Amino acid sequence: MRPSSAWLRNHTYLVPLVLLVVAVALNYYFQPNFFQPRVLNGNLRVMLPLMVLAAGQALVIIAGGIDLSVGAMVSLVNVLLVTLVTRESGPPEVLLAVGAALLVGAAAGAVNGLCVAYLRLQPIVTTYATSFLFSGVALAVLPRPGGALPRALTTFYRSAPLGVPATAYGIALLLLLWVVLRRTRFVQYLYAVGGNAAAARASGVRVAFTRFLSYVTMGLFAALSAMMLTLSTGSGNSRLGDAMTLPSIVAVVLGGTRLAGGQGGVVGAVIGVAVLTIIRNLITFSNVPTWYQTLFDAVVILLALAGPGIVQLIRGRRA
Amino acid sequence: MPDRDPPASTPEPLLSARGIAKRYGAVRALEEASLSVRAGEVVALLGANGSGKSTLGKIITGITRPDAGTLTFDGAPLHLSEPAQARRRGITAVYQELSLVPDLSVAENVWLGHEPVRRGGIDRRTMKGRTAELLASFAGVFSVPVEPDTLVDSLPPSERQLVEVVKALAWRPRLLVLDEATASLDARQVDRLFELVRGWREGGMAVVFVSHRMNEIFRVADRAVVLRNGVTVGERRIGEVDEQELVQLMTGGGAVAAIALEGHDAPGAAAAPPGATEAPVVLELRRFASGVVAPLDLTLRQGELVGVGGLQGQGQSRLLLALFGAVPHQGEVRLEGAPVAFRNPRQALRAGVAYVPGDRNREGLLPVRPILENLQLPNWRRYGTPLRMERARRDAAAVVADLDVRLASLDEPVANLSGGNAQKVVIGKWLSRRPKLLLLDDPTKGVDVNAKAELYRLLARLQAQGTTILFHSSDDAELLGLCQRVLVMQDGRVTATLEGDTLDQRHLVAAAMGAQGAGAA
Repeated sequence: MRPSSAWLRNHTYLVPLVLLVVAVALNYYFQPNFFQPRVLNGNLRVMLPLMVLAAGQALVIIAGGIDLSVGAMVSLVNVLLVTLVTRESGPPEVLLAVGAALLVGAAAGAVNGLCVAYLRLQPIVTTYATSFLFSGVALAVLPRPGGALPRALTTFYRSAPLGVPATAYGIALLLLLWVVLRRTRFVQYLYAVGGNAAAARASGVRVAFTRFLSYVTMGLFAALSAMMLTLSTGSGNSRLGDAMTLPSIVAVVLGGTRLAGGQGGVVGAVIGVAVLTIIRNLITFSNVPTWYQTLFDAVVILLALAGPGIVQLIRGRRA
Repeated sequence: MPDRDPPASTPEPLLSARGIAKRYGAVRALEEASLSVRAGEVVALLGANGSGKSTLGKIITGITRPDAGTLTFDGAPLHLSEPAQARRRGITAVYQELSLVPDLSVAENVWLGHEPVRRGGIDRRTMKGRTAELLASFAGVFSVPVEPDTLVDSLPPSERQLVEVVKALAWRPRLLVLDEATASLDARQVDRLFELVRGWREGGMAVVFVSHRMNEIFRVADRAVVLRNGVTVGERRIGEVDEQELVQLMTGGGAVAAIALEGHDAPGAAAAPPGATEAPVVLELRRFASGVVAPLDLTLRQGELVGVGGLQGQGQSRLLLALFGAVPHQGEVRLEGAPVAFRNPRQALRAGVAYVPGDRNREGLLPVRPILENLQLPNWRRYGTPLRMERARRDAAAVVADLDVRLASLDEPVANLSGGNAQKVVIGKWLSRRPKLLLLDDPTKGVDVNAKAELYRLLARLQAQGTTILFHSSDDAELLGLCQRVLVMQDGRVTATLEGDTLDQRHLVAAAMGAQGAGAA
């Protein structure tokens, strides 16, 4: 029994934190102006939407599921927002759009949740399929890229109240939200269902309902992510979120959450996004083709999936 | 022993196992087991729970490797590392847990792994033809039509069991192990199987017959080999022995009961609350049935500790799961007088029924989660929103101290704990809820002696607090030492209720084996 390993297991974000320090150091070496507010802000603006999305993904994965439709959900909410809001919209329209965005996100999540939790379909296949459904609706809502937000909103997203970038407040709020959520029965049950669904059921946890809620929550996080992304881009595109699905999972894995469920957390996922984004910067600096990014993502996921098996194989040889 | 078989006058045995020992961690499954079978002989392998008869069966068929001892087959030493090797040598087994693939046809299952091949492809015609020939030996006793092309998925358990026999025969075994192979068969099918066994014996096949039904052993076996606590304690010719003598051999005279509890202040019958018969009724079952569990009536009073015994896998676990609402049931259930019908464990828990599973890792624990979360999983509702973590932690620490769970920290994953300590966590999560009825499904399996003693103390305390306990155990000594009343189950039926004078090892084993004149109180 090693108490140190137990401690590490409950603080899964420490390993990615070390990764982050290394990545930042490397980035600083290639880009000495990395810590200048302008550059830092630019990076944070890219990170925030993915952080929110990865936070939701972490919750789903902790509960033993996975959601491959998150990118499509982001696209869907994005086109919805730019359809409901124009450059001339006032606060009432904007609030209405925010409400509609959350509602549509939750509804999309509920579709996934119904299929996975109550119809007991495979999460991977189900959410892959629903991603086409959501993409299709997004394309129907906004066939051609376009639209705009009130200038005040996009300016606010780039502003730095009290000298701190708005996006940094966003990250702080996200972490605060997690601290609150961590102390709810709902999140306790997410860990329990992902840790051992049969034991959770025998302890009186409503397993199917908990799984269902995990996907609905994912939908809400996807809607929030889409809002951040829309503030960042200022326009709509029915394929805007597509490229975010794989990174959202990679970030969760980098953050120390195991894909089998029952372990991990949002802090790790948030750090994972930072690591991932900086590694992408590094790939850009190294003047290698951009498809190396995708290669990197794929390798991380494969290692995460195969890791436990490889460890066992090596241990088995030794025994 | 003077009345052992004189080996000199008989031919060389086909299989002989000598001095076989096998440990699983601290548990000694076999210590000094021996068994020999000659060609053309049917040997019954007998023993109470934990005697090691299944382990010996697994060693003969290459599923498990022995730690010590020698095996010889057909005059040559036998070293098996996997079942396929045993099959190639001519040793095949029919197990109770079926090894059939539901989505394949009967013929495909029968020939799985040794399909007849012609010109580089599977020879389906030969496969089906030979399957049909093999199935013909059970013609007339199938309850549904079984053809080579029938999907196994569509067959009832009894027919699957027969297909399993056919599958073993397809290997043309010289030694066949039948491990509880009659459990799901009806009377006609058993008759036919025994006819066939006699035929195989004439043809020179050796058969090892593991069964828990005394009458079957007398119908089909030539010789009985008895194991007790991992040691072969005797063998008898069937014509020269009666049921009582075999029960006597299996129990060793009934002195076993005291051993497990020796030196521990376990609650015996004496610990029963005074006037237990007048205590209010907590659970009342009328014609309660579920799956294999045949309709039964049962009344449990407050503070009673009632055992459920018999050989393993006779429906005891199913009974407990049905009471907990985890599987459907028929019949009437009254909890403290009020009729209830739990459709899921959640409803049962709300009503004050708690359940401790036999397989802690499958249904009891969240292995990767901290001990704190495991202990509080059913109790979070009490800590409000946001959860008052400090209070939850304090309460968990109290339970841990109370149960004397040895751990480094509450944040340690429960997977780091030893079996006994882990089991305490599984029970500990119910402790603060003071359940009205606690269902325990063989909770001491794989738990060391000290942890067992602590568990007994815990049960005694719950009992004193007024919790009614229904306790299934595969450890006969435990049942006899702890319970005031023991229901004995065989094939899903409660075949005897032992209490008072009949609550002893001899009656328990006799009832479990379905021996004549078993104490039905």
